[in-house]
Amino acid sequence: MTTNAQVPTKVYFEDVQVGDAIPRLIKSSVTHLQLVRYAGASGDFNPLHTDPKIGEMLGIGGIITHGMLIMGFVGQMLSDYVGPTALRKFDVRFKGMTHLDDVITCTGTITEKFEADGEARISGRVKAADQNGDVKLIGTFVAALPRRNAAQ
Amino acid sequence: MFDTSKVGHSFPPFTIEVERCKIHELALAIGDDNPIYHSREAAQAAGYADVPLFPTAPTMFTFWGNTKFVSNLVNLGVNPMAILHGEEEFEYLAPINPGDTLTGMTTLVDGKTRKGHAGSMDILKLETRYTNQHDQAVLVARTVVIVRG
Repeated sequence: MTTNAQVPTKVYFEDVQVGDAIPRLIKSSVTHLQLVRYAGASGDFNPLHTDPKIGEMLGIGGIITHGMLIMGFVGQMLSDYVGPTALRKFDVRFKGMTHLDDVITCTGTITEKFEADGEARISGRVKAADQNGDVKLIGTFVAALPRRNAAQ
Repeated sequence: MFDTSKVGHSFPPFTIEVERCKIHELALAIGDDNPIYHSREAAQAAGYADVPLFPTAPTMFTFWGNTKFVSNLVNLGVNPMAILHGEEEFEYLAPINPGDTLTGMTTLVDGKTRKGHAGSMDILKLETRYTNQHDQAVLVARTVVIVRG
């Protein structure tokens, strides 16, 4: 049973083609203040993400970013593209640590169009990488899109 | 090394109320200034019933809903300082709106110790299933945690 509400139209199913690129999102560089804010917002207070001394002690080159902040950046890209309530599934695999001052770019591609649970859906691949091209995460998503004819 | 006999074990359930202000705070921290996350009026003007859930908002439910999350891991023999986040997955089953009260139940669904030339590491898979105040399944969150030995 799918009871998800229909989404405000960002993009129609008919207008999406397999192979299409999702508009990329380039974020501002990661700052220490942002990690403190993110810790408070998410409730993840692991000092790895906020206390530089811990990072030095563990030999991981200072503070490392919450992986979930980087997933959040990709979430912002998907939210801009299809809207948050269109998402049915969103998963990522973390590939590398993100440090302060890194500039993250999120990208994605549509890989499939299909029907499931009475909905027109798309799936795609997503990726976040830093200014050197080092990949921080890869992932996939599924979203339900409105049809043009159903909108009238 | 963690206690592998705990695979299949569920932690005590927790509840959390979905709050507009927390969605606002999370979007702000991520740097998403889309007004739908910051004002109910803007969200409704854009066609949403209320401020929608930010895609990664379930992470707040895990930590703020279950403030014993980290000590649950410690009880399994995990050192929180040695944790790396391996994977995260959200399955959005039904709408979640501000004012909803969610109940989450986290289960250790898999776990193993992998030995390599650089030492051993534990790989734990946790699954949290959420229902709302109407007992409707609304969300599943799956997390893979890697613990360096």
